[in-house]
Amino acid sequence: MHPILARGRRLALYLGAWTLVGMLLAALLAGPGGLSATRSLVVAIPLALVYAFFCLSAWYVARSTPLGPTGGVRLIATALTASAISSAAWLVVARGWLELFAEGNRVAPPELFPALRALIFGFGLLLYLLSISVSYLLAAFERSRDAERRGFEALVLAREAELRSLRTQIDPHFLFNTLHSISALTTADPPAARRMCILLGDFLRDTLALGSKDRITIVRELQLATQFLEIEQVRFGDRLRTDIGSPASDTWMVPPLLLQPLVENAVTHGVAHVIEGGVIRIAISENGSSLTIDVENPCDPDRPKRTGTGLGLSNVRARVQALYGDRAGVSASEADAVWRVRLTLPAESVLSEGPNPHE
Amino acid sequence: MSESPVRVVVVDDEPLARAVVREFISVHPGIEIVAECANGFEAVKAVSELGPDLVFLDVQMPKLSGFEVLELIGRDVPVVFTTAYDQYALRAFDVHAIDYLLKPFSEQRFGEALARARERLAARDHAPVDALVSETQARQTPLERVLIRDGSQVHVLPVDRIDYVEAQDDYVSFRSEGKSYLKDQTLGVTESLLDPSRFVRIHRSYLLNIERIARVELYAKDSRIAILRDGTKLPVSRAGYARLAKLL
Repeated sequence: MHPILARGRRLALYLGAWTLVGMLLAALLAGPGGLSATRSLVVAIPLALVYAFFCLSAWYVARSTPLGPTGGVRLIATALTASAISSAAWLVVARGWLELFAEGNRVAPPELFPALRALIFGFGLLLYLLSISVSYLLAAFERSRDAERRGFEALVLAREAELRSLRTQIDPHFLFNTLHSISALTTADPPAARRMCILLGDFLRDTLALGSKDRITIVRELQLATQFLEIEQVRFGDRLRTDIGSPASDTWMVPPLLLQPLVENAVTHGVAHVIEGGVIRIAISENGSSLTIDVENPCDPDRPKRTGTGLGLSNVRARVQALYGDRAGVSASEADAVWRVRLTLPAESVLSEGPNPHE
Repeated sequence: MSESPVRVVVVDDEPLARAVVREFISVHPGIEIVAECANGFEAVKAVSELGPDLVFLDVQMPKLSGFEVLELIGRDVPVVFTTAYDQYALRAFDVHAIDYLLKPFSEQRFGEALARARERLAARDHAPVDALVSETQARQTPLERVLIRDGSQVHVLPVDRIDYVEAQDDYVSFRSEGKSYLKDQTLGVTESLLDPSRFVRIHRSYLLNIERIARVELYAKDSRIAILRDGTKLPVSRAGYARLAKLL
């Protein structure tokens, strides 16, 4: 579609500009043609507007001979030929129009036309060449805008890919250990084995369903953490105890599975390294503008430092940074054999989200 | 099949994982579980007191890993590792484990491990396994903590809590927070295991944690003493001083 015909406003602007061109033409006609100012305007403006539509074709000429791949000679030849043809066509129209006008008003003698022929043809030629140039400019402008948009799209895609890669994947060792527990329970306690299968199935299904969303409510996120810990409790028995707080309102939105790596760490790098075990505590506190989530677990202060909580924590950091920038924070600290990770997230209301098909 | 039962210790911090081993063993005649341990300390104690023929050993456990348990109980006890992690398999091979069972494992796979263990036990009756190169000596990274066995008790000493190490005949004595811990090891081996940027051999008989140095004083011609933050004085040889100067 022609860029000028595509929108009414553009067309109006274009025709407005051509009305000015018509005035210029009127001034030219008034001199050698000997017409009065008003009459030359009446003659010139409709002529200019007709030519405006002729000149729209310049866009297609420009498109058929793009600047880059087309040679200079061919470019100039095409432009001149197209200009000459349309200018000649305009001349025919102008002649008809002038004769009609002269007849109707009984003012302009028929001899008027030959005097104006060269003027109109030259004017038309120049105008058409100008139109072709403008078309090239428009095309270049459009191309650069396209490139800019593609660049921006690529940026958005890369960012999404980065976020996807940071999305939590369930640690396969969790699955191996859980399956081993189920294997033990099948003979020792078959109903418990079945319960464990169901717990695991529910957890995995919810992880898949919620993990693909942009945001879920904090309550749902805490449910996921609880489901995970329930499974781990079967493995660790009394050694793993939990204390999971609840938020005052369910309007807070968080990225799905943001807590999962922290809770996984709390088990594998925390409770699992302490002989007597301990409590994994998730505490939620909120004020008007931010939500604070603390994940605490007992840890062995004498553990070798290199088996830290590196990957999971830095993953959460990177994800929070990518999603919120400086509006959010992740900090970790250790005191009295308790490891604590504190997440501070900016307020995001449930109202800004679409309907949640899962619930 | 040997006349006397094979005596087995099962080590895993998860009760259910121990239950799997117990159940799989129950169908094999001639095997007796003499102890079940929920952590590395219990394992070291049980193995040194009971002297079992075979140990089923989890890798990831609190305080002491399966490999650390093995280091403490020595190489003469055949071990089958059980773990959900496959990344330790090579290391298990290095320490001559009989087998490496990946959780969850089947009864059949467990039976194969048991058969291998019986073969190894039968062969060992005739030709004892040679002493192996210490696994810790072959390791690439410096030690993070030193394990010291004291009878059936185990001390875990994080290296940053060690003040200095002193050679005492065939032993070394680790000084930490006012206490001494004896370990059956030479000072040369100890030096090679610790981080060389933190521990420096200041004397034929002393390996010093450089963070503990308060100052070094000239004592006599060509001889110096290092004064530690707690006031302890240690001799510094000429070569030792050169090494120290390079680090400080």
